Amino acid sequence: MSVKVNIHPVLRHMTKGQSVVEVKGSTVGQCLKQLVAQFPETESALFNKDGRLLSYVEIYVNRESSYPEELKKKVADGDEIHIVLMLTGG
Amino acid sequence: MLTESDMERYDRQIIIDGLGQEGQERLKKARVVIAGSGGLGSAVSVYLVAAGVGTVRLIDHDRVELSNLNRQVLHWDKDIGRRKVISASEKLRSLNPGVTIEAVDETIKEDNVARLVAGFDMIVDAMDNFPVRLMLNKAALDRNIPFFYGGVHGFEGRAMTIIPGRTACLKCVYHGSIPGDKIPVVGATPAVIGSIQATEVIKYIVGIGELLADTLLVYNGLDMEFTRFKVKRDPDCEHCGKWRDEVKNEC
Repeated sequence: MSVKVNIHPVLRHMTKGQSVVEVKGSTVGQCLKQLVAQFPETESALFNKDGRLLSYVEIYVNRESSYPEELKKKVADGDEIHIVLMLTGG
Repeated sequence: MLTESDMERYDRQIIIDGLGQEGQERLKKARVVIAGSGGLGSAVSVYLVAAGVGTVRLIDHDRVELSNLNRQVLHWDKDIGRRKVISASEKLRSLNPGVTIEAVDETIKEDNVARLVAGFDMIVDAMDNFPVRLMLNKAALDRNIPFFYGGVHGFEGRAMTIIPGRTACLKCVYHGSIPGDKIPVVGATPAVIGSIQATEVIKYIVGIGELLADTLLVYNGLDMEFTRFKVKRDPDCEHCGKWRDEVKNEC
Protein backbone atom coordinates (compact mmCIF):
# COMPACT_ATOMS: atom_id res chain seq x y z
CA MET A 1 0.00 0.00 0.00
CA SER A 2 1.83 3.10 -1.21
CA VAL A 3 1.16 6.48 0.38
CA LYS A 4 2.78 9.77 -0.54
CA VAL A 5 3.95 11.95 2.34
CA ASN A 6 4.32 15.62 1.39
CA ILE A 7 7.08 17.16 3.45
CA HIS A 8 6.76 20.72 4.74
CA PRO A 9 9.48 23.03 3.29
CA VAL A 10 10.91 23.69 6.77
CA LEU A 11 11.57 19.96 7.20
CA ARG A 12 13.00 19.18 3.77
CA HIS A 13 16.61 19.50 4.85
CA MET A 14 15.86 16.34 6.86
CA THR A 15 14.66 14.42 3.81
CA LYS A 16 17.62 15.27 1.57
CA GLY A 17 15.52 17.93 -0.10
CA GLN A 18 12.73 15.55 -1.09
CA SER A 19 9.33 17.20 -1.06
CA VAL A 20 7.48 13.88 -1.36
CA VAL A 21 8.45 10.58 0.25
CA GLU A 22 6.70 7.32 -0.65
CA VAL A 23 5.94 5.01 2.27
CA LYS A 24 3.75 2.01 3.06
CA GLY A 25 1.23 1.71 5.86
CA SER A 26 -2.45 1.51 6.67
CA THR A 27 -2.53 4.35 9.22
CA VAL A 28 -0.94 7.78 9.38
CA GLY A 29 1.11 6.57 12.35
CA GLN A 30 2.55 3.64 10.39
CA CYS A 31 3.35 5.88 7.45
CA LEU A 32 5.14 8.42 9.61
CA LYS A 33 7.12 5.62 11.28
CA GLN A 34 8.27 4.58 7.82
CA LEU A 35 9.23 8.16 7.08
CA VAL A 36 11.30 8.27 10.26
CA ALA A 37 12.91 4.92 9.34
CA GLN A 38 14.03 6.43 6.03
CA PHE A 39 14.96 9.82 7.46
CA PRO A 40 15.70 9.52 11.20
CA GLU A 41 16.13 13.29 11.67
CA THR A 42 12.42 13.78 11.09
CA GLU A 43 11.53 11.98 14.33
CA SER A 44 12.37 14.88 16.65
CA ALA A 45 10.71 17.32 14.23
CA LEU A 46 7.42 15.43 14.34
CA PHE A 47 7.17 13.67 17.68
CA ASN A 48 7.74 14.45 21.34
CA LYS A 49 9.52 12.06 23.72
CA ASP A 50 6.24 10.24 24.38
CA GLY A 51 5.79 9.49 20.70
CA ARG A 52 2.93 11.95 20.27
CA LEU A 53 2.82 14.48 17.47
CA LEU A 54 4.23 17.87 18.35
CA SER A 55 1.49 20.42 18.92
CA TYR A 56 2.36 22.56 15.91
CA VAL A 57 2.46 19.67 13.43
CA GLU A 58 -0.74 19.37 11.41
CA ILE A 59 -1.56 16.26 9.42
CA TYR A 60 -3.89 16.29 6.44
CA VAL A 61 -4.96 13.16 4.56
CA ASN A 62 -6.08 13.84 1.04
CA ARG A 63 -6.17 17.54 2.02
CA GLU A 64 -8.56 17.03 4.92
CA SER A 65 -7.63 17.60 8.53
CA SER A 66 -7.08 14.40 10.47
CA TYR A 67 -7.15 16.08 13.91
CA PRO A 68 -7.50 14.96 16.70
CA GLU A 69 -6.50 11.27 16.41
CA GLU A 70 -4.10 11.87 13.54
CA LEU A 71 -1.87 8.83 14.03
CA LYS A 72 -4.83 6.42 14.06
CA LYS A 73 -6.31 7.79 10.85
CA LYS A 74 -6.66 5.06 8.21
CA VAL A 75 -5.01 5.54 4.83
CA ALA A 76 -5.36 3.58 1.60
CA ASP A 77 -3.22 2.92 -1.44
CA GLY A 78 -2.73 6.16 -3.37
CA ASP A 79 -3.62 8.44 -0.47
CA GLU A 80 -1.62 11.57 0.21
CA ILE A 81 -0.48 12.80 3.59
CA HIS A 82 0.57 16.45 4.03
CA ILE A 83 2.72 17.45 6.97
CA VAL A 84 2.02 21.14 7.60
CA LEU A 85 3.32 23.45 10.33
CA MET A 86 1.37 26.26 12.03
CA LEU A 87 2.81 29.65 11.03
CA THR A 88 2.91 32.64 13.34
CA GLY A 89 4.71 35.43 11.50
CA GLY A 90 3.00 38.55 10.32
CA MET B 1 -24.12 57.52 -1.09
CA LEU B 2 -21.33 57.54 -3.63
CA THR B 3 -19.99 60.90 -4.78
CA GLU B 4 -18.94 61.78 -8.31
CA SER B 5 -15.34 61.43 -7.18
CA ASP B 6 -16.07 57.97 -5.71
CA MET B 7 -17.57 56.89 -9.01
CA GLU B 8 -14.38 57.84 -10.80
CA ARG B 9 -11.94 56.56 -8.17
CA TYR B 10 -13.57 53.15 -7.90
CA ASP B 11 -14.68 52.87 -11.53
CA ARG B 12 -12.56 49.78 -12.29
CA GLN B 13 -14.09 47.80 -9.46
CA ILE B 14 -17.63 49.15 -9.77
CA ILE B 15 -17.70 47.63 -13.26
CA ILE B 16 -17.04 44.15 -11.83
CA ASP B 17 -20.10 41.91 -12.16
CA GLY B 18 -21.58 41.39 -8.72
CA LEU B 19 -19.85 44.40 -7.16
CA GLY B 20 -21.37 47.47 -8.82
CA GLN B 21 -22.44 50.68 -7.07
CA GLU B 22 -24.27 48.73 -4.42
CA GLY B 23 -21.15 46.80 -3.48
CA GLN B 24 -19.12 50.00 -3.45
CA GLU B 25 -21.62 51.59 -1.10
CA ARG B 26 -21.31 48.58 1.20
CA LEU B 27 -17.55 48.99 1.19
CA LYS B 28 -17.95 52.68 2.04
CA LYS B 29 -20.13 51.85 5.04
CA ALA B 30 -17.86 49.07 6.34
CA ARG B 31 -15.79 49.42 9.50
CA VAL B 32 -12.76 47.13 9.65
CA VAL B 33 -10.19 46.57 12.39
CA ILE B 34 -6.71 45.66 11.15
CA ALA B 35 -4.74 44.28 14.08
CA GLY B 36 -1.07 44.82 13.30
CA SER B 37 0.70 47.29 11.03
CA GLY B 38 3.62 45.09 10.02
CA GLY B 39 4.08 42.92 6.93
CA LEU B 40 0.55 41.54 6.67
CA GLY B 41 -0.94 44.81 7.94
CA SER B 42 0.84 46.82 5.25
CA ALA B 43 -0.63 44.75 2.42
CA VAL B 44 -4.12 44.38 3.89
CA SER B 45 -4.50 48.04 4.76
CA VAL B 46 -3.24 49.34 1.42
CA TYR B 47 -5.74 47.26 -0.54
CA LEU B 48 -8.69 47.87 1.77
CA VAL B 49 -8.07 51.61 1.85
CA ALA B 50 -7.54 51.71 -1.92
CA ALA B 51 -10.80 49.77 -2.36
CA GLY B 52 -12.70 52.39 -0.38
CA VAL B 53 -13.53 50.61 2.88
CA GLY B 54 -15.12 53.46 4.83
CA THR B 55 -13.42 53.19 8.20
CA VAL B 56 -10.21 51.35 9.05
CA ARG B 57 -8.86 51.09 12.57
CA LEU B 58 -5.15 50.23 12.75
CA ILE B 59 -3.91 48.81 16.05
CA ASP B 60 -0.19 48.38 16.78
CA HIS B 61 2.05 49.34 19.70
CA ASP B 62 5.42 49.02 17.96
CA ARG B 63 7.84 51.54 16.56
CA VAL B 64 9.41 51.14 13.12
CA GLU B 65 12.82 49.44 13.12
CA LEU B 66 15.37 49.08 10.33
CA SER B 67 14.88 45.29 10.33
CA ASN B 68 11.16 45.76 9.52
CA LEU B 69 11.75 47.41 6.18
CA ASN B 70 12.29 44.28 4.06
CA ARG B 71 8.59 43.48 4.35
CA GLN B 72 6.59 46.20 6.10
CA VAL B 73 6.24 48.36 3.03
CA LEU B 74 4.07 51.07 4.57
CA HIS B 75 7.10 52.08 6.63
CA TRP B 76 10.03 53.72 4.95
CA ASP B 77 13.60 54.57 5.92
CA LYS B 78 12.57 58.01 7.17
CA ASP B 79 10.05 56.40 9.55
CA ILE B 80 12.56 54.49 11.67
CA GLY B 81 11.75 55.18 15.30
CA ARG B 82 8.21 56.44 14.63
CA ARG B 83 5.05 54.75 15.86
CA LYS B 84 3.91 52.25 13.25
CA VAL B 85 0.28 53.33 13.36
CA ILE B 86 1.31 56.95 12.77
CA SER B 87 3.62 56.04 9.91
CA ALA B 88 1.01 53.74 8.34
CA SER B 89 -1.98 56.06 8.75
CA GLU B 90 -0.05 58.93 7.18
CA LYS B 91 0.59 56.91 3.99
CA LEU B 92 -2.92 55.50 3.88
CA ARG B 93 -4.54 58.95 4.23
CA SER B 94 -2.39 60.16 1.34
CA LEU B 95 -3.47 57.14 -0.70
CA ASN B 96 -7.17 57.72 -0.09
CA PRO B 97 -8.32 60.79 1.86
CA GLY B 98 -11.92 59.57 1.59
CA VAL B 99 -11.30 56.75 4.06
CA THR B 100 -11.40 57.38 7.82
CA ILE B 101 -8.22 55.94 9.32
CA GLU B 102 -8.09 55.50 13.08
CA ALA B 103 -4.60 54.98 14.50
CA VAL B 104 -4.64 53.15 17.83
CA ASP B 105 -1.24 52.93 19.49
CA GLU B 106 -2.04 50.25 22.06
CA THR B 107 -1.00 46.74 22.95
CA ILE B 108 -3.86 44.29 22.42
CA LYS B 109 -4.50 42.47 25.68
CA GLU B 110 -7.20 40.37 27.28
CA ASP B 111 -8.53 43.35 29.20
CA ASN B 112 -8.80 45.77 26.27
CA VAL B 113 -9.48 43.65 23.20
CA ALA B 114 -13.28 43.93 23.52
CA ARG B 115 -13.05 47.73 23.71
CA LEU B 116 -10.62 47.93 20.78
CA VAL B 117 -12.90 46.04 18.41
CA ALA B 118 -16.24 47.40 19.67
CA GLY B 119 -18.34 49.04 16.96
CA PHE B 120 -16.51 47.35 14.09
CA ASP B 121 -17.88 44.87 11.55
CA MET B 122 -14.89 42.56 11.20
CA ILE B 123 -11.34 41.93 12.37
CA VAL B 124 -8.32 41.25 10.17
CA ASP B 125 -5.47 39.34 11.78
CA ALA B 126 -2.16 40.93 10.86
CA MET B 127 -0.39 39.96 14.07
CA ASP B 128 3.00 38.31 14.51
CA ASN B 129 2.18 36.07 17.47
CA PHE B 130 -0.42 33.50 18.41
CA PRO B 131 -1.54 34.60 21.89
CA VAL B 132 -2.95 37.84 20.46
CA ARG B 133 -4.38 36.05 17.41
CA LEU B 134 -6.34 33.83 19.75
CA MET B 135 -7.58 36.85 21.74
CA LEU B 136 -8.83 38.38 18.49
CA ASN B 137 -10.41 35.08 17.40
CA LYS B 138 -12.31 34.93 20.68
CA ALA B 139 -13.29 38.61 20.49
CA ALA B 140 -14.67 38.11 16.98
CA LEU B 141 -16.69 35.09 18.11
CA ASP B 142 -17.99 36.99 21.13
CA ARG B 143 -19.12 39.87 18.91
CA ASN B 144 -20.39 37.53 16.18
CA ILE B 145 -18.26 39.21 13.52
CA PRO B 146 -15.91 37.55 10.98
CA PHE B 147 -12.21 37.11 11.57
CA PHE B 148 -9.70 36.91 8.73
CA TYR B 149 -6.62 34.90 9.74
CA GLY B 150 -3.23 35.16 8.03
CA GLY B 151 0.21 33.89 8.96
CA VAL B 152 3.63 33.79 7.29
CA HIS B 153 7.01 32.11 7.69
CA GLY B 154 9.82 32.39 5.15
CA PHE B 155 8.36 31.81 1.70
CA GLU B 156 5.20 30.25 3.09
CA GLY B 157 1.91 31.68 4.23
CA ARG B 158 -1.62 30.68 5.10
CA ALA B 159 -5.03 32.24 5.32
CA MET B 160 -8.47 31.25 6.55
CA THR B 161 -11.77 33.05 7.00
CA ILE B 162 -13.77 32.48 10.17
CA ILE B 163 -17.49 33.14 10.24
CA PRO B 164 -18.93 32.72 13.76
CA GLY B 165 -21.49 29.98 14.02
CA ARG B 166 -20.75 28.68 10.52
CA THR B 167 -17.11 27.67 10.27
CA ALA B 168 -14.16 26.31 12.18
CA CYS B 169 -12.45 29.04 14.18
CA LEU B 170 -8.73 29.61 14.60
CA LYS B 171 -8.72 27.83 17.95
CA CYS B 172 -10.19 24.74 16.25
CA VAL B 173 -7.10 24.43 14.06
CA TYR B 174 -4.44 25.89 16.34
CA HIS B 175 -2.64 23.50 18.66
CA GLY B 176 0.80 25.10 18.96
CA SER B 177 3.38 27.24 17.17
CA ILE B 178 6.79 26.59 15.67
CA PRO B 179 9.31 27.47 18.40
CA GLY B 180 11.68 30.39 17.88
CA ASP B 181 11.73 34.12 18.57
CA LYS B 182 12.82 35.50 15.22
CA ILE B 183 10.52 34.45 12.37
CA PRO B 184 12.14 34.47 8.92
CA VAL B 185 10.11 36.27 6.24
CA VAL B 186 10.74 37.45 2.70
CA GLY B 187 8.65 40.57 2.09
CA ALA B 188 6.70 39.21 -0.84
CA THR B 189 5.14 36.50 1.36
CA PRO B 190 3.05 38.80 3.59
CA ALA B 191 2.21 40.76 0.44
CA VAL B 192 0.65 37.60 -1.03
CA ILE B 193 -1.18 36.58 2.14
CA GLY B 194 -2.25 40.13 3.03
CA SER B 195 -3.67 40.53 -0.47
CA ILE B 196 -5.62 37.30 -0.03
CA GLN B 197 -6.98 38.53 3.30
CA ALA B 198 -8.00 41.84 1.70
CA THR B 199 -9.72 39.91 -1.09
CA GLU B 200 -11.65 37.87 1.46
CA VAL B 201 -12.72 41.02 3.33
CA ILE B 202 -13.93 42.70 0.15
CA LYS B 203 -15.83 39.57 -0.93
CA TYR B 204 -17.45 39.30 2.50
CA ILE B 205 -18.53 42.95 2.56
CA VAL B 206 -19.85 42.91 -1.00
CA GLY B 207 -21.36 39.43 -0.67
CA ILE B 208 -19.80 37.78 -3.72
CA GLY B 209 -17.68 34.70 -4.34
CA GLU B 210 -16.70 31.82 -2.08
CA LEU B 211 -14.89 32.51 1.16
CA LEU B 212 -12.09 30.44 2.68
CA ALA B 213 -14.66 28.98 5.05
CA ASP B 214 -13.57 25.72 6.72
CA THR B 215 -10.65 25.99 4.33
CA LEU B 216 -7.02 26.64 5.16
CA LEU B 217 -5.23 28.03 2.12
CA VAL B 218 -1.49 27.36 2.23
CA TYR B 219 0.83 29.26 -0.09
CA ASN B 220 4.23 27.74 -0.78
CA GLY B 221 6.35 30.34 -2.51
CA LEU B 222 9.32 28.03 -2.97
CA ASP B 223 7.36 25.51 -5.04
CA MET B 224 4.90 28.23 -6.14
CA GLU B 225 1.89 26.20 -5.08
CA PHE B 226 -1.39 27.00 -3.39
CA THR B 227 -3.04 24.12 -1.54
CA ARG B 228 -6.52 24.15 -0.01
CA PHE B 229 -6.97 22.03 3.10
CA LYS B 230 -10.37 21.24 4.55
CA VAL B 231 -10.62 21.90 8.26
CA LYS B 232 -13.47 21.22 10.61
CA ARG B 233 -14.87 22.59 13.80
CA ASP B 234 -13.47 20.98 16.92
CA PRO B 235 -16.45 19.81 18.95
CA ASP B 236 -14.42 20.52 22.10
CA CYS B 237 -13.20 23.93 20.97
CA GLU B 238 -12.92 26.34 23.90
CA HIS B 239 -13.74 29.31 21.70
CA CYS B 240 -16.58 28.29 19.42
CA GLY B 241 -18.12 25.31 21.15
CA LYS B 242 -21.04 27.42 22.30
CA TRP B 243 -22.06 27.93 18.67
CA ARG B 244 -22.47 24.18 18.27
CA ASP B 245 -25.06 24.22 21.06
CA GLU B 246 -26.92 27.11 19.48
CA VAL B 247 -27.02 25.35 16.12
CA LYS B 248 -28.40 22.24 17.85
CA ASN B 249 -31.08 24.34 19.51
CA GLU B 250 -32.09 25.85 16.17
CA CYS B 251 -32.44 22.36 14.73
